[in-house]
Amino acid sequence: MLECRDLRKSFGELAAVDGVSFHIAAGETYGLLGPNGAGKTTSISMAVGLMQRDGGQVLVDGEPLDPGTTRLKAKIGLVPQDLALYPDLTARENLRFFGRLYDMPRARLSRRVDEVLEIIGLSDRANDRADTFSGGMKRRLNIGIGLLHAPRLLVLDEPTVGVDPQSRNAILESIEQLGSEGLAVLYTTHYMEEAERLCDRIGIIDRGQIKAEGTRRELAQILSQHDRVRLSATGPLHEGAEALRRIAGVQQVDVTDGAIDVLVEQAGNSLMAILSALEQSGVSITGVEIDEPNLEAVFLHLTGRSLRD
Amino acid sequence: MKALAIAGSNLRRFARERANVFFVLILPMLLILVLGSVFGRGFEPRVGLVAPETGDLTQALVDELEAHEGFALHRHSDRETVVRAVERGELEAGLILPPDYDAAIRAGDAVEIDFIARPGQASLSLRRTIDTLLAEQMMLPRIAAFAAAEGAAPFDQALARAATVTADTDGVHVESTVAGDSGISRRNWGQFDLGAQQQLMLFMFLTSLAGSAALVQTRRLGIARRMFATPTTVRTILLGEGLGRFGVALVQGVYIMLGTMVVFGVRWGDPLGAILIVLTFGLVGSGAAMLMGALFSNDQQAAPVGVFLGLGAAALGGCMLPLYVMELFAPAVWTAAHVMPHAWALEAFEVLAIHDGGVGDVLPFLGILLGYAAGFYVLAIWRLRAVLTR
Ligand SMILES: Nc1ncnc2c1ncn2[C@@H]1O[C@H](COP(=O)(O)OP(=O)(O)OP(=O)(O)O)[C@@H](O)[C@H]1O
Ligand SMILES: [Mg+2]
Repeated sequence: MLECRDLRKSFGELAAVDGVSFHIAAGETYGLLGPNGAGKTTSISMAVGLMQRDGGQVLVDGEPLDPGTTRLKAKIGLVPQDLALYPDLTARENLRFFGRLYDMPRARLSRRVDEVLEIIGLSDRANDRADTFSGGMKRRLNIGIGLLHAPRLLVLDEPTVGVDPQSRNAILESIEQLGSEGLAVLYTTHYMEEAERLCDRIGIIDRGQIKAEGTRRELAQILSQHDRVRLSATGPLHEGAEALRRIAGVQQVDVTDGAIDVLVEQAGNSLMAILSALEQSGVSITGVEIDEPNLEAVFLHLTGRSLRD
Repeated sequence: MKALAIAGSNLRRFARERANVFFVLILPMLLILVLGSVFGRGFEPRVGLVAPETGDLTQALVDELEAHEGFALHRHSDRETVVRAVERGELEAGLILPPDYDAAIRAGDAVEIDFIARPGQASLSLRRTIDTLLAEQMMLPRIAAFAAAEGAAPFDQALARAATVTADTDGVHVESTVAGDSGISRRNWGQFDLGAQQQLMLFMFLTSLAGSAALVQTRRLGIARRMFATPTTVRTILLGEGLGRFGVALVQGVYIMLGTMVVFGVRWGDPLGAILIVLTFGLVGSGAAMLMGALFSNDQQAAPVGVFLGLGAAALGGCMLPLYVMELFAPAVWTAAHVMPHAWALEAFEVLAIHDGGVGDVLPFLGILLGYAAGFYVLAIWRLRAVLTR
């Protein structure tokens, strides 16, 4: 459905997207997971033909897509990261307006507008101006516009930021539903849970490059020889962390608020050494948790930084 | 079709803003009323005249001077008072006829008429008005004097004969007036005519430029990009947005024309020609607005800058200082005025309203205006494509 090859884009000195490739089959949900500034939005903008590329190629159903290829854009629905709707038009007017830009016949447009209003839970506010909506309602309308013409490829750029858990769940459900109906979905997020829940395959993107790609299981296998130990602790945590880094088998150490996260090859082998090293540094331990690695740990491992700044 | 959808949203949003109604419909009429009352008849130069009490020819000249609408005539008894009044600014100019005006003309002698004014451009204009008028007045007596000198007929007989001849072939007479400075004599403009034309151009352009903020806002809201993510070309987006602005300009233009016709009795000349000027000028204004909308990235700036540019362009283009005044006093400014589309539109209206021209007569002007519109739109599309895809 969508294939991106070696996408490149620089803003001045900054290589915002530096050779990104991925492909999405029909019915597949692909997630781009990365922190702020990773290059998700820039990649997406090139993928949907909004942005002039410095290099690379985009194919939609095998046909090359450039900003000038208008016809192919009918297959794509875009939900931009930043709200893009008329604040002084009503929800219904906004939907109708974009529907007309997709050349939807009138009867079908009216029906779809009602359907979409139902999906995004705004049926009872359909005739209110968008600027009277709460932030979450605007987000939902923003998503609704992308769904309206029932595209073959739905591209959502962090669509749930600022949406309450209940609405967020409804949105995720409708995306899951669309995915199961054969729609290809490109989804960017920096929420681990969303990527894990929605996406068939995930590309981990950082500093303009895809660091790893695969199903959730495949990604976890990158760390399959590793365990994650989380120690709740008080005292000089940073000194303790320094001591841990000198222990054989310890891959990575991170200090968060009131806890130290340690990535080790085998928890069983290193745990005693870890505990005594911490004790010697004057850190008192209040709890120990040992986990199989999750995406967050994979991310940390691959990029050396956590997803959220 | 899509362009219509875009124009529709644009207009719907425009209509929802109440203040727009005031700026588009009410303010222009108020200004035409105010300016028409102040300047339409208000600025009338005063000319002092010292003339002999008797003489047919003198009387004919005085009658003509008095009938002239370009200035007000005040009789004085001696040169001294006139000079002093001019010095004090109580009169714009003075005109002194010699005591033997009649006799000198009859004899075919040179007649010396004193024109007294302070140095300055305004008096120069008055001077030209009066020169024209005098030349016109003296034409018949000169012919008669010539005929009398040649022995063809006595002066009075020759004069009467010359009058009937020139009345028959009145083309000669009229053309001498027009070839002089018909622009200076405002005898053909109604009180509100010129002002209404100027305000029409000023407001159509101003409203359009201020409306460029709408396009900037559409861009800033991310809607322009989102439109571009649908199967819609940049050209369609821009033509749609432009069409919305064009609609506003058109409504305003037609409203000002009809309103001033009904309320102030303004003559616009041939209706079809007038509508065509408003249509093409509306395209120019909306095109300029689209270009501005594509160039600016901040709508808070676009609106005030639009107003500033709109007023500046109108001022230079002859919507404040009339073109004929520029032509007289500052030919360079007059030339520069024609960089602005306003000047061409105003001249087109002059052709319609003053010279009773028809559509055919204003075609060259319409062509130039269409050229402006096309240029603005092409640049705007080119620019918008660049900013949307970068
Ligand atoms: N128009 C632009 N001009 C200059 N730099 C830009 C522009 N757009 C993006 N960048 C830079 O490119 C990099 C990637 O930005 P991008 O918006 O693609 O990140 P992102 O992964 O979508 O981040 P976020 O999660 O915050 O949305 C960032 O460093 C950003 O500052
Ligand atoms: Mg982004």
